[in-house]
Amino acid sequence: MTGLVPISVLGTLILVLGIRLVAQSRNRRQSPAVTVDDYANAREALDSVFVETAAIKRIFSVEDAEYVARSGTPDVQRLFFGERRKLALQWLRRTQQQIAQLIDFHLRLASYTYDPSPGFELMLTAKYLTFVVVSSIALALLWLLGPFKATRTISYIIRTAGNFCTTFSLRLERVNPTRLSSDGESLLH
Amino acid sequence: MGKAQQAFPLHFYGTITHGKLLIVMETNVIWWTGTSVTAIVLIRGALVGLLRKYPLFYAYISCVLLKEIVGLLSYQFARNFYEPFYWPSELATIVASYAVIIEIFRQSLRHSPGIARKAQKFLLAAFVLTLSYAATDLLHGQFASASRAIAELGRDLRYIEGALLLVMLWLFVRYRILLGRNLLGLIGGYSFWVGLNVVNLALWFLPGNGFSVFLRRLLPITYVATLTIWCLALWSSQPEPAQSAENAIERDYELLAAKTRAALARTSERLVRVMKP
Repeated sequence: MTGLVPISVLGTLILVLGIRLVAQSRNRRQSPAVTVDDYANAREALDSVFVETAAIKRIFSVEDAEYVARSGTPDVQRLFFGERRKLALQWLRRTQQQIAQLIDFHLRLASYTYDPSPGFELMLTAKYLTFVVVSSIALALLWLLGPFKATRTISYIIRTAGNFCTTFSLRLERVNPTRLSSDGESLLH
Repeated sequence: MGKAQQAFPLHFYGTITHGKLLIVMETNVIWWTGTSVTAIVLIRGALVGLLRKYPLFYAYISCVLLKEIVGLLSYQFARNFYEPFYWPSELATIVASYAVIIEIFRQSLRHSPGIARKAQKFLLAAFVLTLSYAATDLLHGQFASASRAIAELGRDLRYIEGALLLVMLWLFVRYRILLGRNLLGLIGGYSFWVGLNVVNLALWFLPGNGFSVFLRRLLPITYVATLTIWCLALWSSQPEPAQSAENAIERDYELLAAKTRAALARTSERLVRVMKP
């Protein structure tokens, strides 16, 4: 009976991955090849994550909340906290989408590299999964408590996203490093 | 009729053991349908030029068709020959199905040399591990008959095949490998068949499992379903997904990687500034 479990899991995984592959290939038929634009989009997504991370600190600013709580009428306070909450939720959802897009581009590009590193891929996957779990918890907290009471969690998410993006940047440095032409190097500046 | 003979598709267990008209008809219909669809897949492959594109896959299909025809003729005209023929031919078919794995590997990773190199190592490791397991199992097993020994060897070979296929599917899904409609249909049908076969074989060798009886009845139908998937997917030659020119990919990729690295250095600095209290 014990031998049955791994074999059944093997068979089931084959079926599940087979279905997943067919679904994935059908979805990607619209934009099949990785292009220069895709790559530019990945860089843009990476940039926007950082830019919005800087901007989001303002949305979660406790000073603003304290000021409105001190001097605002109840209607203004309600409007302010409601708007901030909505903004925070939108930002977090967008960050999740951008990170997911980043991973997608990374994986598509990785298939073209000459020396992909499974160890690094594993590390990246672990970091990505951590981000997904933590950001989902934060999303729930934001929805339940509002942005100001959930700031501690949010700052942790920002750090997680930062870690993830640092890993991603290291990954990009591994892309065909030996094949960089002198022309390509000059574009660094 | 031995227990082992009931494990694989397109067999005659209903005809031989029970003699019930309905089962005979059902079995015959499935067998004839399977053989016909196999022939259609092969003929279409030759007509639309896919036979040249996927020679290993069509070699496997030819092997299956040959086995079915010889099996049918021997059953009709030389029944004494049928039983000794069945299991060795079944084993030969399973071995031949490894050609499909090689074909999938060859065709899918043509444009991904790095992944192909890594996959080769993964597949080799999976093959050696599962082969060692199968060899140990075979050496320590006490078999009542040669048919039983061949059946168990066939089962172990299917497990190895399943493990190899799983590694490949994982790589394709993980790295979003681009696949044309023909190749996708080939892989889809093959995964469907091997996946169900592996589960069925696991249950079949478990004594007294009632569910396996149901699965055994279902298996020939799933094989016909697999052939139908292949027939539809390989009915005409579909264009491969557009790949950017090799030089352009490499040049542009490196260019963008360099740009991104520079941009990342800037954004890393920004991040440090943002994260400072």
